Amino acid sequence: MGTTTPRRAGASRAWVGALLVAGLGHTLVTHAAVADSDRIAALEQKLDQSLQLIGQLSARVHDLEAQVAQGVPVAAARRPGTAAAAAATAAAAQPGTPAATPPATAAATPPDTAQRLAKVEQTVTEMTASAGRRAEEGMATHGFADVGVGNHNATFSNYQGANVGELDFFLTPRLGSRTRALFELNFEVGSDGSVGVDLERAQLGYQFADSATVWLGRFHTPYGYYNTAFHHGQQIATSLRRPRFIQFEDQGGIMPAHTVGAWLTGAQRVGDEKVTYDVFIGNSQRIQDHTLDMNNAGNTHGSTIMGGNLGLLLSGALDGLKVGVDVFQTRIQDEDQSPSYVTQLRSYGAYAAYDTDSWEDIAEFHVFSNQDLTGRTGTHHSDAGFVQLGYRAGRYTPYARYERGAFQQSDDYFFAQASGSSYYRTALGLRFDVDLVSALKLELADTHLTDRLIGSYDEALLQYAIRF
Amino acid sequence: MLTSSAKLLLTGLLCAGCAVAGAADLSVICNSRVPLTAGDVRDLFLGEKQFAGAVKLVPVDNSSAQSVFLDKVLKMNAAKYSTTWTKKSFRDGINPPLLTGSDAEALAYVKRTPGACSYVTTPTPPDVVVVARL
Repeated sequence: MGTTTPRRAGASRAWVGALLVAGLGHTLVTHAAVADSDRIAALEQKLDQSLQLIGQLSARVHDLEAQVAQGVPVAAARRPGTAAAAAATAAAAQPGTPAATPPATAAATPPDTAQRLAKVEQTVTEMTASAGRRAEEGMATHGFADVGVGNHNATFSNYQGANVGELDFFLTPRLGSRTRALFELNFEVGSDGSVGVDLERAQLGYQFADSATVWLGRFHTPYGYYNTAFHHGQQIATSLRRPRFIQFEDQGGIMPAHTVGAWLTGAQRVGDEKVTYDVFIGNSQRIQDHTLDMNNAGNTHGSTIMGGNLGLLLSGALDGLKVGVDVFQTRIQDEDQSPSYVTQLRSYGAYAAYDTDSWEDIAEFHVFSNQDLTGRTGTHHSDAGFVQLGYRAGRYTPYARYERGAFQQSDDYFFAQASGSSYYRTALGLRFDVDLVSALKLELADTHLTDRLIGSYDEALLQYAIRF
Repeated sequence: MLTSSAKLLLTGLLCAGCAVAGAADLSVICNSRVPLTAGDVRDLFLGEKQFAGAVKLVPVDNSSAQSVFLDKVLKMNAAKYSTTWTKKSFRDGINPPLLTGSDAEALAYVKRTPGACSYVTTPTPPDVVVVARL
């Protein structure tokens, strides 16, 4: 190209530039050295004065705070020797404000000053009260977003290159002392590469006590640990992605991650331990286009999903450890078949999560006992689980995960789903917390598909995730 | 006249002194109608306890004393506190404590808000309940 500069010429210019900068710097340093002693002396004098003033102001502020805290009138409790600080404060105020009176006047008329200080105090109190009220109003909005790059897409392995993960907003409006609401809106890329919008959660609740809140609407099905602990929001999850078998329904998950219905949840201290519980009932899901659908509008046959989760948070030497069990059952209609297959799905789960300053370890296991209600294939047993170990070493968290799903392909519930094939995956990753609200994650994974499809693929994935 | 290094050292020592004094005087306070015990404070500020009897609790952070409070009461740093609340909000749909900027602001809020609790390092007036003094 015509604009390309030959390398040697570029190097020469760089050297000339460096010499000029060095020469200029040397000149400035030399010049500065001449006036150094005078300037240092002047600066030290100013610093002395500033320190003295800061000391006086600090004392005065402390006095005022103590007086405000005790409700003592400012003028009555003024400490001797603080008049200078008050005068300095007044002098420093902007013209036009009540405190802009010249110091001499302020010192000469103490009652006047006291009145002004009282007025300032009242104004500050009103401003802080107003600020507090402002903080109470409106709707709290939070969100997550992530983008990535890899030799495969982390969710849809047929794609590669850069990808948009999701943009997730969740809203928690302050409605009153017992009424609660939570909405989650998610923009995510689907299997066809287009962006879709999902109302992930729409929950309206009423809190009877710390031990009982009832929610109505669409919520995260409270099975196991991971589905309610992380769900969307990769920034708060240590790993780069969810285990494959508990992915979201439209991203290859084979369990009903969302339920539309009612959910009673709460926690109760029992001694030093804490017991958590969830009980839920909702529309049974269906399979449509080889994907689980949570029947947002209801279903046509009135069948339900129902289940529960019981957890125990331990204390003392086991502080940070939560163990639990869960169970749910539902009736799933495979609408891709004609006539439809109907499966009675039963899932029994157990989990343990150890979350401390240093460790985040999670293990979750599910056993499925599914019965074909159309009487064609009988009852089938499958299972899935994962173990993830993470160690927080400052801003770095290396982690490892092993996961597997062994799904009977004679079970229509799994066979009908696009991602219902058996697999196992090992992954090693590293999370780096760039700051409080953003994290960079690298994951190397090896996935093996073991029945419907036979094959394997390696992945190198990078993700940047934030919260706001 | 002091050298710059000496002044820096002096300033550091003064700040350290202030921090120690502040740490020694931390009081967890509540509105006068809040029946709360010292054992409830951790649960309150982590969103695990939202009611005291029929009273809806309103925890309020005070940024001027927060580091001491987190260190002495919750035993965690600001980053973990923030992350804990993000997770809590996401899971349970509750909001983190409001934030005030000074002892005076925290006291004013606690005094006028039923169910409110905060923490301060200055002496407390008689019309708030001191739940714990650390």
